[in-house]
Amino acid sequence: MKIKNLITGAVTALAMTASAAFADITLVVPQKAGQGTTVWAEIIVKELEKHLGERIVLRLIPGARDIPGINKFHNDLRFDENTIVVTHGGNGVSFLQEEVDYNYAEYESIGLMNLNIIAGKRIGDDMSAPRFPAGSGMVPEAFAMTLLLCGPDKTVDEYIECFKENVTWVKGMSGGERRLAFKRGDLNGTRENPATYNKHVVPDENAELWFHHGLLDPATGEHGDDPNFPAGYQVEDLFEAKWGVRPSGEFYDAYKLVKSFRDGLQKAIWINKGNDELRDRLRAAMTAMANDPESMAAIEAKNGKYEWFIGEKGDQMRDTLMTFITEDALRNLVKFNREALGLNSVYKANLVE
Amino acid sequence: MLESYFIVLMLGVFYGFFVGLIPVAGATTGLIAIYSFVTYFQDPYMLVVFTTAIVVTSSIGDSFCGVVMNIPGAGGAAATMVDGFPMSRRGEAARALSAAISTSWINGLIWGLAVFLFLPWYTQIVLYFGTVEMFSFLIFAMVCVIFVSSKYWFRGLLALILGVLVGRIGMDPVTAADRWTFGWDYLADGVQIIPVMAGLLAVPELFSAYRMKAEKIQLTNGVIMSQLIEGIKDTWRWKWDGLRGGLIGGFVGLVPGIGGAIADWFAYSQTVAVSRKNPDDSEVPVGKGNVRGVIGCEGANNAQKATSYVPTVLFGIPGAPFEVIVMGLLMYVGLELGTPSVLADERFFDVLLSSYLWSLMIILPISYAFIKYAVYITNLPFKFYFWPIFASLVWSSTQYTGLIDDYIMLALCICAGMVMKYFKFSRVSFLIGFILSYRLEASWVQFNSFGYGWEELVFRPLPATFMALTVVALIWGLFFNKAKIDFV
Repeated sequence: MKIKNLITGAVTALAMTASAAFADITLVVPQKAGQGTTVWAEIIVKELEKHLGERIVLRLIPGARDIPGINKFHNDLRFDENTIVVTHGGNGVSFLQEEVDYNYAEYESIGLMNLNIIAGKRIGDDMSAPRFPAGSGMVPEAFAMTLLLCGPDKTVDEYIECFKENVTWVKGMSGGERRLAFKRGDLNGTRENPATYNKHVVPDENAELWFHHGLLDPATGEHGDDPNFPAGYQVEDLFEAKWGVRPSGEFYDAYKLVKSFRDGLQKAIWINKGNDELRDRLRAAMTAMANDPESMAAIEAKNGKYEWFIGEKGDQMRDTLMTFITEDALRNLVKFNREALGLNSVYKANLVE
Repeated sequence: MLESYFIVLMLGVFYGFFVGLIPVAGATTGLIAIYSFVTYFQDPYMLVVFTTAIVVTSSIGDSFCGVVMNIPGAGGAAATMVDGFPMSRRGEAARALSAAISTSWINGLIWGLAVFLFLPWYTQIVLYFGTVEMFSFLIFAMVCVIFVSSKYWFRGLLALILGVLVGRIGMDPVTAADRWTFGWDYLADGVQIIPVMAGLLAVPELFSAYRMKAEKIQLTNGVIMSQLIEGIKDTWRWKWDGLRGGLIGGFVGLVPGIGGAIADWFAYSQTVAVSRKNPDDSEVPVGKGNVRGVIGCEGANNAQKATSYVPTVLFGIPGAPFEVIVMGLLMYVGLELGTPSVLADERFFDVLLSSYLWSLMIILPISYAFIKYAVYITNLPFKFYFWPIFASLVWSSTQYTGLIDDYIMLALCICAGMVMKYFKFSRVSFLIGFILSYRLEASWVQFNSFGYGWEELVFRPLPATFMALTVVALIWGLFFNKAKIDFV
């Protein structure tokens, strides 16, 4: 009886694994089941399938900082004509300052969601001494709070010193631990995506909005306010209100570079260049999905109301982001990561060549 | 409508029990596998029923692998086999299983009722346990479990150190850089626990058993029945061991970030310690096939699963790895745990409580009835079930990426396990070092990042208590601990 059960189980499992191979389209996801981008992909795929008329199966390839799955797509899977990939903002940040194989320039966009990351704080705290969770790597919030704390007209070295003097940058915390630590008050600041901000920070009677990064307009290359949150909380607006001028300079350029790559590519679906037939079908289905109020209501209920950039508009977003990569911005990004945050970032000269 | 719920409940119960029987698989693997079918749940509450049934029943199914086959259950829960398998070899498999199931069940019931009836009241407990409390508790737990040692103590110490070192492979929590990955991307997320469990502990035991002749122990239905009753009596006789295990498991589940595998060994170590004070001359010592060893650690697993629902449901913060999957599945059908809409949803809590309790009620007679068939397996030559078990171990170990890297990692772990077993380097010590390594390091990094010092450990009430207990455990471990386990 047990042997039969085990064999039946093994066969079922093999059949499930093999189902990805026989699916119409495979979407590579660089995370484990249950993680943010996987859940996002499940929601999108469910809606997209309705308009595509074909089955899309997720293939989860997790790994450190969600890089191995995208590398695998780049080096191997993208040449399969039925395989596409989803990337998230963390992949965009890694692209700037880690040795990764993947390269957005070699793909075409099916569609992407330009999201925002929101920082919350304890009510009444003036945030002159932030205690903030580091996360698994470098985050633009470190740049943002340094700008807000330290003001204009400083060198990158001065910003680094200012950060070290004022910010308690807490490493080693998982997502769950940081949320509890914020609720307890051990941390006085935290960061979330819009959906998790509404879930974890908004209901907390001791928490309030601190800042957000704004939304990038790919046509102008400028960040505008986020209509999902009250006006005036974008970093640039808060900076101007506090210091009397808009932020600018080499440190601000590094901040703009890193926040744009993370938030502008927060959730993006890509296909290898040259796979025109599938690209066009998927873009058409995604356009139909974006025009379907029922589908968008289902997606917005989970992710907030954010604009979709489909097809060539997604490519335009990628191209705009690439213009932010200058030698100075990249060098200053790496310098701050290494000296202020203690990270092992690398300067990738090939990105500015 | 009620019929549909009942059918889903039964499907969840049988599926969860089956997943629990698969070596090293367990609730997390079982829940991941149902992702493909989640769209069939039109009624979101049915998915609550299904997932709850899987969680409850998989931990009871777990016990069979350890006791009958000397193969660990899920997520590091390997302590049951240390005493369970020697009992099985002595022809007392039914007694060990009965005691394991009864203890696990009773603690599941106690802690399930405690959790689901008084859920909102736990908020302050969860919030009270901060970085310093976590750090001091982990030190205490580590000191307790490292004294679960084999008679080859020096090799055990080396194995523990090796486990700690292997646990450090992956991302450095300070620099976020890859550490000791030798350029292999796959290792950058750390060595996964399932291939370690399968390769280091399970497969070497499979090979050993394959070469062994099955012992023809005459087990009639009458003998099995009397052992089953004896196991239930043992559960009552050693109730404090089981309840202590439940308390440890319940506490660990309540606090996200500690990890269920620590609860299992921590509970076992406490039974070892207490058994010295209350020896029973008619039994072999704990660690060599004593039913108290089974009862001590089995108390922890279902209790931990019950209490891990507290942070998950109240805050949307997973209390255990399987809760990440539960949250993802329920979010897919529109139930976002930790949000005001779910917290105000009385039906959700009713369904959660009733499916939890009904799953427990249904699984108990099924488990007892299954003991009879499990015991007969001990009389079968191992070659009959070597391949199905080996196949299921390979399947469980390759669910991480499904790529060739998973197979290579499993092969490496098998080689390491075979070498360690041959040279008698304690694999249990290795596993303990491996499990604790990252958790302790991350906790230490947090402690340092906040700029805390020894003052926090000494002057805060809970950390001070843990540190005092750590000193007691150290003295006991160094000077009075004579218990050694036979398993290497």
